[in-house]
Amino acid sequence: MNHGQQSGEAKHEDDAALTEFLASLMDYTPTIPDDLVEHYLAKSGFQCPDVRLIRLVAVATQKFVADVASDALQHCKARPAPVVKDKKQHKDKRLILTMEDLSKALREYGVNVKHPEYFADSPSTGMDPATRDE
Amino acid sequence: MSTERAQDGDRNEAASSSGCSESYEFSHAAAKAAVAQVCESVGYEHFKDPALESLAGFALQYILQLGKTATSFANLTGRSQCNVFDIILALDDLTDNGDEGISSESCSLGRSVKLREIIDYVNSSEEIPFSQPLPRFPVAISDRSRNLIPSFVEIGETPPGKHIPLWLPAFPDPHTYKETPMWIERVSDPRGDKIEQARQRRKAERALLSLQRKLVCKLSSRNPVWGDMDGVKEEMREDESEMRSVSPSISEEKVESLNRDGLSVIEAFAPAMEAARDGFSSEAHTEWKKKKPVALSKLRTEKKFLGQPLDLSLQMKGEDRPLSFVREEDRDDKRRRAEFILRQCMENPVDLNQL
Repeated sequence: MNHGQQSGEAKHEDDAALTEFLASLMDYTPTIPDDLVEHYLAKSGFQCPDVRLIRLVAVATQKFVADVASDALQHCKARPAPVVKDKKQHKDKRLILTMEDLSKALREYGVNVKHPEYFADSPSTGMDPATRDE
Repeated sequence: MSTERAQDGDRNEAASSSGCSESYEFSHAAAKAAVAQVCESVGYEHFKDPALESLAGFALQYILQLGKTATSFANLTGRSQCNVFDIILALDDLTDNGDEGISSESCSLGRSVKLREIIDYVNSSEEIPFSQPLPRFPVAISDRSRNLIPSFVEIGETPPGKHIPLWLPAFPDPHTYKETPMWIERVSDPRGDKIEQARQRRKAERALLSLQRKLVCKLSSRNPVWGDMDGVKEEMREDESEMRSVSPSISEEKVESLNRDGLSVIEAFAPAMEAARDGFSSEAHTEWKKKKPVALSKLRTEKKFLGQPLDLSLQMKGEDRPLSFVREEDRDDKRRRAEFILRQCMENPVDLNQL
């Protein structure tokens, strides 16, 4: 009984926290606009008049994209810097979102995105791109 | 910022190409812009287009998958509309929780790892609203098209056919697909036109006839008064104007009729002339002589009148006339003329029909 009461209380707290969170969502404007999210949710059959839920989905998507992008950024930064030819010691690497970084990042999410090579002129074509030069 | 320029370029390209039907292109372009903004907040400065496009596609697939899973969870419990727990369950379903799995208590905040992560993310990250104002793109066009074409009920028409309900948009007006005449077509009546023409011809000839009769009448009835010529001149001018009002195509026939009647006029003039000469023999010769050339010239002008009816007024104007006579004679002349015409119409119906 105690356990049940405790879980009941926890549930109440959880519910309170949930409602609080949903209320706070109204202040936070997600980067992905509501109309766009609503359009795609309607495409998949999701029907809900509540704006908070749409914002929840938008925020979830935004978080997903941010996670993937940050992982790709890690891969980009982890790559060895190009050879500095002039006298500058430290050169800021240009942070460009490329397909390679993206495919590496998405692999952890279970998505297989492999960009095929233009030319297959050497035996190492199609192998792990980390071993090859850019 | 080069990312923004790249974004704008992509957006402009997509927007211009989405000017035609596909709403997919427009939404895809908007999603690309949003995703680029998110990446920018993460730390990226530049994007490669294929990478950005594929990432935007993934984000859209994520939304679609979330929606599909949440809907299926709602349908599982017999609801058609989703609630927050459906979304939480769907979120957990999408994430790869290999060791945990979905438990019955994962709906709550405490258990759902994903939700906690999201809450943390909301609290920690700064707010980046979407940069461009986005219109309600899928709905607006259909609203406009619906408003442009009113329904049968709104117009107040009954649809042509019982199978068409009233709330459907009305059919277009017949002038949009049929060739309807732009002007009121007048029915051409050739027979009626000919009758009208003949009637006008007869009217003109009647006027001429009356003119000649007047001349005859004047000369025969009022022999001593040669000054009457002014009144006759006036009458002739009026008759001419009458003649001119009739169409010129029948002038030939006029001339013919004149020829026919002109002979009778000259014949009528001859005894009148003799009577005049006899009557005036007692009076001043000079006066008569003065008037005589006038009469002769009148005859001459009469002859000319046969050939060229329109030159008459000019010739008559050239002669001297006592002006005082004109006005007094006008009124009497008009009265007498009306009487004369009436008499002639009564007495000689045959002559009129001849014309």
